[in-house]
Amino acid sequence: MIRLFSVSRHFNGKRRVTALEDVDLEVARGEMVSIVGPSGSGKSTLLNLIGGLDRPSSGTIHIDGRDLTRLGDDDLTRLRRDKIGFIFQFFNLLPSLNCLENVALPLHLRGWDRRKIALRAAELLEMVNLTDRAGHLPEELSGGERQRVAIARALAFNPPVLLADEPTGNLDSHTGASILALMHDLHDRLDATLLIVTHDPAVAQSCPRTVALRDARLVRDERR
Amino acid sequence: MSNAPRYIRPPRLFLALLLALSAWAQDPRRIVEESQRRTRSGSQMYEGDLQVVDARRRVSQKRWRYRRMGSYGDSKALLRFTAPPDVKGVALLVVNHPDRASDQWMWTPAIGRDRRIALQDRSTRFFGTDFSFEDLEERDVDQFDFTLLGAETIDGALCWKIESRPRKKSQYTSSHLWIRQDNYVPARLDNFIKDEVVRRLFYRQVERIQEIWTARELDMTDLRRNSRTILRLEKVRYNVPLQEEEFTVQALRREQ
Amino acid sequence: MILLKLISWPYARKHLLRATLTTVGIVLGVAVFVGIHLANGSVLAAFNRTVDRIAGKAQLQITAGEPGFDEEVLERVQALPEVGVAVPAIEAPVETGLKGQGNLLILGVDMTGDRSLRDYDLEGEGEQEEVVEDPLVFLAQPDSLIVTREFASRNGLRIDSRLSLGTMEGPRQFTVRGIMRSEGLGAAFGGNLAVMDIYAAQKVFGRGRRFDRIDVAAAEGVSIADCRRAIQAALGPGFQIEPPSSRGKQFESLLRVYSMLMNVNSLFALFIGVFLIYNSFAIAVTQRRPEIGILRALGATRGQIRALFLGEGALAGLFGSIAGVLAGIVMARVLAGYTTSVMQGVYGVSESAREIEASPGLIAAALAMGMAASLVGAFLPARNAARVDPVQALQKGKYQVLTAGENRARRIAAALLAAGALTPLLFTRSRPAFYMGYVMMALCALLLTPTLALWLARLFRPLLRWIRPVEGALAADSLLQAPRRTSATVAAVMLSLALVIGLAGLARAGYAAIQEWLDTTLNPDLYVSASSNLVTRSYHFPDSMTSELRALEGVEEIQRVRSSRILFRGGVVMLVSLEMESIARRTPRRRPVAGDLAAMHRLAAQGKAVIISESLAQLQNLRMGDILEVAAPRGLLRLPVAGILRDYSDQQGSIFLDRSVYLRWWNDSSADIFRIYLKPGVRAEDLKARILERFAGQRRLFVLLNHEVREYILRLTDQWFGMSYIQLAVAVLVAVLGIVNTLTVSIADRRRELGILRAVGGLAAQIRGTIWMEALAIGLISLALGLGLGAVNLLYDIEMARRDFAGMTLDYRYPFGMALALVPILLGAAWVSALAPAETAVRGSLTEALEYE
Repeated sequence: MIRLFSVSRHFNGKRRVTALEDVDLEVARGEMVSIVGPSGSGKSTLLNLIGGLDRPSSGTIHIDGRDLTRLGDDDLTRLRRDKIGFIFQFFNLLPSLNCLENVALPLHLRGWDRRKIALRAAELLEMVNLTDRAGHLPEELSGGERQRVAIARALAFNPPVLLADEPTGNLDSHTGASILALMHDLHDRLDATLLIVTHDPAVAQSCPRTVALRDARLVRDERR
Repeated sequence: MSNAPRYIRPPRLFLALLLALSAWAQDPRRIVEESQRRTRSGSQMYEGDLQVVDARRRVSQKRWRYRRMGSYGDSKALLRFTAPPDVKGVALLVVNHPDRASDQWMWTPAIGRDRRIALQDRSTRFFGTDFSFEDLEERDVDQFDFTLLGAETIDGALCWKIESRPRKKSQYTSSHLWIRQDNYVPARLDNFIKDEVVRRLFYRQVERIQEIWTARELDMTDLRRNSRTILRLEKVRYNVPLQEEEFTVQALRREQ
Repeated sequence: MILLKLISWPYARKHLLRATLTTVGIVLGVAVFVGIHLANGSVLAAFNRTVDRIAGKAQLQITAGEPGFDEEVLERVQALPEVGVAVPAIEAPVETGLKGQGNLLILGVDMTGDRSLRDYDLEGEGEQEEVVEDPLVFLAQPDSLIVTREFASRNGLRIDSRLSLGTMEGPRQFTVRGIMRSEGLGAAFGGNLAVMDIYAAQKVFGRGRRFDRIDVAAAEGVSIADCRRAIQAALGPGFQIEPPSSRGKQFESLLRVYSMLMNVNSLFALFIGVFLIYNSFAIAVTQRRPEIGILRALGATRGQIRALFLGEGALAGLFGSIAGVLAGIVMARVLAGYTTSVMQGVYGVSESAREIEASPGLIAAALAMGMAASLVGAFLPARNAARVDPVQALQKGKYQVLTAGENRARRIAAALLAAGALTPLLFTRSRPAFYMGYVMMALCALLLTPTLALWLARLFRPLLRWIRPVEGALAADSLLQAPRRTSATVAAVMLSLALVIGLAGLARAGYAAIQEWLDTTLNPDLYVSASSNLVTRSYHFPDSMTSELRALEGVEEIQRVRSSRILFRGGVVMLVSLEMESIARRTPRRRPVAGDLAAMHRLAAQGKAVIISESLAQLQNLRMGDILEVAAPRGLLRLPVAGILRDYSDQQGSIFLDRSVYLRWWNDSSADIFRIYLKPGVRAEDLKARILERFAGQRRLFVLLNHEVREYILRLTDQWFGMSYIQLAVAVLVAVLGIVNTLTVSIADRRRELGILRAVGGLAAQIRGTIWMEALAIGLISLALGLGLGAVNLLYDIEMARRDFAGMTLDYRYPFGMALALVPILLGAAWVSALAPAETAVRGSLTEALEYE
């Protein structure tokens, strides 16, 4: 499903910074992998590269058999839209749109028929148990609720790949646990491939596979 | 000198004459007066030939017919150009008054109208010659202070040299006038602005015409412009009978 | 100061383009201010120099308006003991027939006496060299001409060269008989001046035995004032005896309307400048909030932060003003062209201002003005910057709302201003109150802009959402969330649109009024004019020509018109003598402003009254029945106003009187235009041919067909109203600048939002779309407000036109055509402005946009 071959990412500023160096990684469909490592080890860069938000300096990335590095901007966006769902630490909801509109955002961008969007968005909100909050703006919700909206948005097209960057990082432990539970639940139900970047050992341990990064290199890959 | 007795009173006493003559001869004002008196005539006619030689030695020539009746302060004069063709017919009428400035009219046939010449600056040159309008005026001896500077010889003739300073407004500061002692005919006139001679006039070819000593050539030099004008008087006649009607604006227009 | 260097300079360098654009308004405002003052000043100075040169040593000039006066006046003046020198003059512009030389001003003087007053700066070696080789020939030949050395060398003329000039008898050959040095008199009108014998000039220009002017120098020992009193007493009230310098004042009064319009434009540009500065600084404060936070955290006081931004404002103002002064000097040359053409219209020959010199005073004023405007614009952002909370500023993703709670106060102030603006419009004639009201109206609109813009954005949101659910909604939300960001731009665009609408409305109404005037009044089939157009009046026809024209086949009726500018109540007005009875018969459809059409013409025809133009009534505050006192050479003419008519032939206003009255009081039987009506069935073209044939080689004349005159007048009108198109260009420029600025900030503010959009699947086209829609939304809001404010502005403009400019009463007609045209133009401009910012939005790094650490 996901295959990285010798992927490196450098940032060329006044000083060349290596964020990721020669990483090989393969993730099969339906796997649930946690990515751990200290700050600056390259976890987020790895996730951004897999999600097509960023491009590698060298190496190739294949998602579902397609080489991301060869896609143009718009094709990359289309692939992202169809295959990948993002869950961010800070939720990244649009503050001016209510829950339903935020969830419906990718569907609109896809150009779906309005009636179909309404049905699908409601269905998604129900999936994360937020039907009663549909008309609320993000700032009216709790942190856990916002993350659930973000998760619902990520699931809009039933993407085969879900990428979560510190999904519980900005939540208290209780809420974090419930979000983690939701993600496990969804993973089981939807059969998606799930990659979670996390600091939280509890989150890491709940995943069957853990990949560890240190100083831009992949140093450990263990399965439980 | 047939007409002279009319003007010169015979002396009564020789001694008186002798005394008077020496005193009289020494009075510059009297000399000038006598000089003017001797040229006086009831009317005059001549044909003028005018030559202007400018600083670049270019010569222009004009001819006119001149008639005057009356004299000193009461005269009327008419001057009509006869050549060259582009000024032919242009005429000038001057009516002098004893008490005020003269009236002048000009007739230009090509425009077909007469005009009053409002001469407001007497230093203006007389139609491109080296004479200014002031130079052509009759000089009233009462308007000047005279000083006798001595005697000099001009063209072989002994002259009194007299300085005159104008009492009224003039372009000149002073003038030096040479008058021949033998016949009271002016021989030379230098006009000064401050200490500089600006115009110099020579009276030449003095002839007796009808008992009047007449300079037939007036030679004026403008020293600042380095330009010279020579006026030759031809066919001079004095005391011809002329009619008042010939000296009117109507006549100016009528006659060609 | 060190802060400026350390903090501001790197920022300005990074945003060089924006920093430059920011000052555009200041540059423009200062440039227009400097330009118009320089241009007017220079042309006026040139004109005064010319007047001085032509006047020579004359201390006083005797005139009686354009009709001039009889020759005998000269002798009366010369006879006065107080008068030293008095010489007559005629001035007439003529066509030279030389390519590219335009008109030549002929100064007819009496060469026999004139030298004492005028310095002809003799050409030749010696100081005493005469201008004219042979003065006698010069006077004897009517074709004699003295030209300036400049004109001579431009056209390869030398003594005895021939030159063709338009005369009353058609083109005639003249001979150069003298060349003036190009100083003194010869420098007047850029050398386009020639001297002629005055009596020859009378003949050539059909002046009869009349002079235009007498130049006077007082007798020695007599004061100018005493000399003037003596002349006035001798000649009576019909003559103006003024020092030559007063001609400059008259010319200045002609330029007044134009200068005023340009000053309004300059003020307006500065106003826009204030907004652009405000806008840019507001942006800078937003973008540099973290930096301000750090500075504050490091111990900078609020005062220091405020000083920093005000310092930047002052600097921007300084640079903008300097650029403005430079641009103004360039602009002055262009504007001087216009001023010169006004002069050409009045004097027939134009004096171009060769040197444009900026006085230190003017430059200082311009710099002060530009900096003041800049500081005003920077004031609010500087205050906001000082209020930045260091803790919040250093937290990413937090937006500090700095401007809550001002809305209510603003609305109350707006309401008060609105009341203040309406009062003078309805209740008073006072000019200061009226203009105060105008300013209050503008301020009120400005105060209301943020609120109204917000309402409109709310109104448009569903619409935009309906068009494009995501892009539209986001675009609208962007406006809703940061109304301050957009309202400055909206306000600026709104103001300029309002100005466009106002001017367009004026143009439309003016056009309609002039059209009606053309239809009802200018209805003869043919005009025979002595001059090539209907404006210059240097040639006149003798009255004898009337019967010659009448004898031509096909002519049904001829009306003689003689118009000339005269002094009236200290200003210059047009005196038009007409055959009232005939005019009344031929123009029955005129709608009088006051009085009964038939009655006013009857009274005027009997010589018992005059009719005045509406403009004169407005400008001089004249009413029906008021007694006009017009100074004529024969004395003081006193006649009541029997009617007021619309007439646009002269901006300063016209007095119409019957030809018989004019003849009696001005003793001038000439005419400058014949209005000719045809017999039925006669073709105007045929008669035109017959007239041209009849007078060929005898008379200089121009035959204009009715439609030619109409086209000529409409073309003039178009030029005058062309101003509204310039304003339109300014509006578009303002819109582009404002919208680019706003979008740049908007994109910076919404970087994360746009990042999310892209992360969850927004295509480049969709991102672009949302930016474009935001721009269009700004455009739409500005349009809605601008077109609305324009309606109010037009109201004031029409009042202004009535009270101050041309004395025109115009109907209120909203320029719907222009308003409609503005929609695509402005939306197009908005879209163009969005292009570059949208690309930056699409190109930005996604990971950086979404970054947290």
